[in-house]
Amino acid sequence: MFDQSCSRRSFLGLAGGVAAFAGLGLAGCGSAPASGSAAGGADAALSGTINCGGATSFQPLIEAVADEFMTENPDVVIAISGGGSGDGISGIVDGSLQIGRSDVFAEEKVDDESQLEGLVDNQVCIVGMGPIVNANVDIDDITTEQLAGIFTGQITDWSEVGGTAGTINVINREAGSGTRATFEAAVLQGAEVPADFTPVAEVDSSGTVVEQVAATEGSISYVAFNYYETNEGIKALNVDGVEPTQENVETGDFNIWAYEHMYTRSDEDEATAAITQAFIEYIMSEDVQSTTVIEQGFIPVSNMQVQKDVDGNVTPVE
Amino acid sequence: MANIMPKRRLENIGLGITGACVLLVAVVVVTLIFMVAEQGLTTFFVDGFDPIAFLTGQHWIPEQDMYGALPMIVGSFSVTLLSTIFALPIALGSAMFVVEVAPGFGTRVFQPLVELLVGIPSVVYGVLGLYVVNSFMRMVFGASAGTGAGILSGSIVLAVMILPTVTTLSIDALRAVPNEYREGSYALGCTRWQTVWHVVLKSATPSIMTAVILGMTRAFGETLAVQMVIGGVERNMPTGLLSPASTLTATLTSGLNNAVAGTEFYHALWTLGLILLVMSLIFILIIHLIGHKGAKQNG
Repeated sequence: MFDQSCSRRSFLGLAGGVAAFAGLGLAGCGSAPASGSAAGGADAALSGTINCGGATSFQPLIEAVADEFMTENPDVVIAISGGGSGDGISGIVDGSLQIGRSDVFAEEKVDDESQLEGLVDNQVCIVGMGPIVNANVDIDDITTEQLAGIFTGQITDWSEVGGTAGTINVINREAGSGTRATFEAAVLQGAEVPADFTPVAEVDSSGTVVEQVAATEGSISYVAFNYYETNEGIKALNVDGVEPTQENVETGDFNIWAYEHMYTRSDEDEATAAITQAFIEYIMSEDVQSTTVIEQGFIPVSNMQVQKDVDGNVTPVE
Repeated sequence: MANIMPKRRLENIGLGITGACVLLVAVVVVTLIFMVAEQGLTTFFVDGFDPIAFLTGQHWIPEQDMYGALPMIVGSFSVTLLSTIFALPIALGSAMFVVEVAPGFGTRVFQPLVELLVGIPSVVYGVLGLYVVNSFMRMVFGASAGTGAGILSGSIVLAVMILPTVTTLSIDALRAVPNEYREGSYALGCTRWQTVWHVVLKSATPSIMTAVILGMTRAFGETLAVQMVIGGVERNMPTGLLSPASTLTATLTSGLNNAVAGTEFYHALWTLGLILLVMSLIFILIIHLIGHKGAKQNG
């Protein structure tokens, strides 16, 4: 009866769909094994493959650094994939990745911290982020309290924060985004967003945020500094009178920033550990930190005069 | 006698190979359902969420441990129904034109054109929707449209996406109506319109229903394009056609990037997958039922 009610074309389409879905499901369960196979001896050249996946925010930076690293170590392959911070932490926890990238502390991502046993947190650089508005919004400065009011739905009109009257259109990142977690931690300072507050959109990437803010009258959102110059339709705001610049993040005057984490395992086998160790050291080297990291819009760890812990407490660096 | 054994062996080999294919498909389907169910049911049996509350909860806010799937269920169904309502008249109209009015033009020009639409990747529809449909919404509805993203934009993009499926299947359905029916109708003095409306469409109804359900299945399962134009807001119930919303598929995809395996959030996302799976099983069941009914009616 199926053949009668449904042409061959549609049957093939349906079958294809089912097969593709099944294929995806199966691919999802596979996990790539580590295949590090360095010959012993400290002087021996590194060789092997490691998988590095997770947060996409600093993926371009890691790709650039990995290219340089692989040129210097021709027998090493660093396979870089995206997927998001959640994927990065899942991957390092279950062993399918040898380096898991994340925008946020792994502690914030899991319910049960015993999952994190054996993980090593490598903070490779800092990313600063700040509020952006549509270029036609006529304010240049905003306070943290006003931001908190806007992003919890208490303030809904631009006239309440010193602009020309008009609806404030809040564009958020999706639930679970590292950028959103960082922004909310620094701005809301513990206040909860009421359940009935509805933003006009929740989007999946900073690139889309920039496009939508540029296209939507009266809109406000937040992105990392390296997205500021990508579109003329957006405008970055000062927060509490402090300009969103790398220098102000380094001194601690501008508080919306986060570490970019590369998680590794302390119980990795020797060959793999040698490569991940060498790669992380390479990223942390003065050479890379002062060139590639800065060129890609991130802030070197060594420049920071302040530090942040898991709970968001900021203290001066000793 | 010497000839019979190899033949039987050949038969057995054939049986083995085709049987293995069937077995493989069955194993894949069963494993898939088992995996999704196992992860999805964890939300209720291990994390301790109430299934009724999960299905009827009006807020999906993972950071506050609020998992209510109703906003996405409503979102999914409203874009599916609306897009079908938009697409069906156009699909039926063009199918009638192709089969009853201008078969030559239909087969040579129109059908290949429609089939071309099927091959366009959904991300292209999404990008077009984002730049064309959403800006159009902003132009027409002004400030009340926000970014332009919402249920209406999602439905329009989906309508274009399911149009080729519904059109092609409707054309097949109308073509399958035996010519004798038409001739009989003409012989009774019916006009062409009366023939098409009362005879052809009527006897093709079960197949057209199948076309509609298949279109709806596609609309329900579509992810990427919808995700780009609907606004992605699942924390609250949508309040109107212009309000930003989300669908089960869209929330599932954007959430999985940020969820860590083993957490409540991760399990809740699998539960959404389970709901999706059950929904598509229901759709397929409906198609089968319609097929049965149609087969009985037409003898």
